[in-house]
Amino acid sequence: MRIFLYSVETSLKSLWREKWINLLTVLSISIGLLIISAFATITHNLDSVLKRWSRDFGLVVYLNDGLSKEAEDTLTAFFRHDADISGIKYISKEQALEELRLTLGEQSPVLEGFEDNPLPSSFELTLKQERLDPVFVQRKASEIKRLNGVEEVQYGEKWLSSLNALANIMKVSVVFLGGAVFIAIAFITYSTIKIFFYRRKDEIETLKLLGATRSFIRLPFLLEGLFIGIMAGAVSALGLFGVYSLVMSKVAGFLPSINIVMVPLPLKAYMPAPLAGALMSFLGSFVAVGTIKY
Amino acid sequence: MIRFTNVSKSYDSDIVLKDISLSIEKGEFAFLTGPSGVGKTTLLKLVYCAERPDEGEIVVAGWDLKKIKPGTIPFLRRNVGIVFQDFRLLMNKTVFDNVALALRIHDMHPQEIKQYVGDVLKEVKLKHKENIFPQHLSGGEQQRVVIARAMVAKPTVLLADEPTGNLDAETSGAIMKLFRGINAKGTTVLIATHNDSLFHGMGRRVFYLKDARIEKERIE
Repeated sequence: MRIFLYSVETSLKSLWREKWINLLTVLSISIGLLIISAFATITHNLDSVLKRWSRDFGLVVYLNDGLSKEAEDTLTAFFRHDADISGIKYISKEQALEELRLTLGEQSPVLEGFEDNPLPSSFELTLKQERLDPVFVQRKASEIKRLNGVEEVQYGEKWLSSLNALANIMKVSVVFLGGAVFIAIAFITYSTIKIFFYRRKDEIETLKLLGATRSFIRLPFLLEGLFIGIMAGAVSALGLFGVYSLVMSKVAGFLPSINIVMVPLPLKAYMPAPLAGALMSFLGSFVAVGTIKY
Repeated sequence: MIRFTNVSKSYDSDIVLKDISLSIEKGEFAFLTGPSGVGKTTLLKLVYCAERPDEGEIVVAGWDLKKIKPGTIPFLRRNVGIVFQDFRLLMNKTVFDNVALALRIHDMHPQEIKQYVGDVLKEVKLKHKENIFPQHLSGGEQQRVVIARAMVAKPTVLLADEPTGNLDAETSGAIMKLFRGINAKGTTVLIATHNDSLFHGMGRRVFYLKDARIEKERIE
């Protein structure tokens, strides 16, 4: 514990002594983290839009004309027992006509031309949130279409596919960009710690000759890398908070619709950057210090 | 305390030490002498494992250096205080911190470190300069800091490589007095020097190195 405290003291002193190179390292890392945080935020917002939209998403199951009450009840029971379906709404032919009349408004007299009600009765099915994957929805629609008494199944497949594709592209981009940025962070810290290591080569040699163990020599460097990562992460989290707040408050003034796509970020959204920065910086310094030979 | 048996060491084709056998007993004060470049420093380095022998056996304070693992070397070195020829003081640390470093490595309590370092700095008459950085000290003062650092952890063996190299006669005398004091407390002391005035009339064992071998060994 005393060695740990001494190492903390040594690394903090070194951070201060080499403040300019450390500042540069912190800023470089925080810019990288800010870029990845921005991407992650956009993805988060896109995901939120998708989720909100999907709350109203449903399959419309049109029934054959003249389907008996028993057959409709069988279908209702079937849908009720389906674990993927979270909501069922039955719309009779009459209700459908009434809804259409309301939708048409002043032009509703056009419906007077029909002798019989041309609209079919239908079910509006809401799928569970976690089931809103285009491939699954398509399979489900085909499955339902094969049921007795079902004429047609409709859903917003194009919208669902496009939004899902966009969200997936963003997620993949975040993973790739994140990977590249994290490697860059590790490399930046590696270079900085390597410089410090070489600068203190004589000191390290003296420590070895005085009987210092490997961990005694390595710990201050590892802690220094860790502190650099945490500081860079904190700077990037503050930057994200600042930019996001600014966009939400200022842009919303002349572009109110921004609030539809931007949701307030939860506190935990600011945590990954410092943690990732700390972890990658620690790894970078770990590699930089390498093996100490006696 | 220190035993060499048929030890040889060479760098590429340059034979530095050949078939060295010597034994220094616990509590002894011995000297190693010979002209510059004869291998005195290499012999000391073999004692604290900074160099490994090509042949032969070395035992220091009970450690068989032929079998010692790299991870154990720091613990051997904690038993061996070293006064380096080039001092090896850390210029970004004060006199106090330079000396305290040897104890911090031992994971000693800060209060004890303060006590031990204070005592040893009094002994080398540098207590009043404990907050000074080494570059502001004279050569003799720097040498005393190095001695303080070597003795503060109370090692069983103390090695000194040309400890009076650039010092005047008066300062050299003061330094030798310190070594005698350390030896009087039971520490085995081995000093490598080319300056024969340091051991003349002291009644101590002296090993003479010549042409990579121990030419003679006698009490001076």
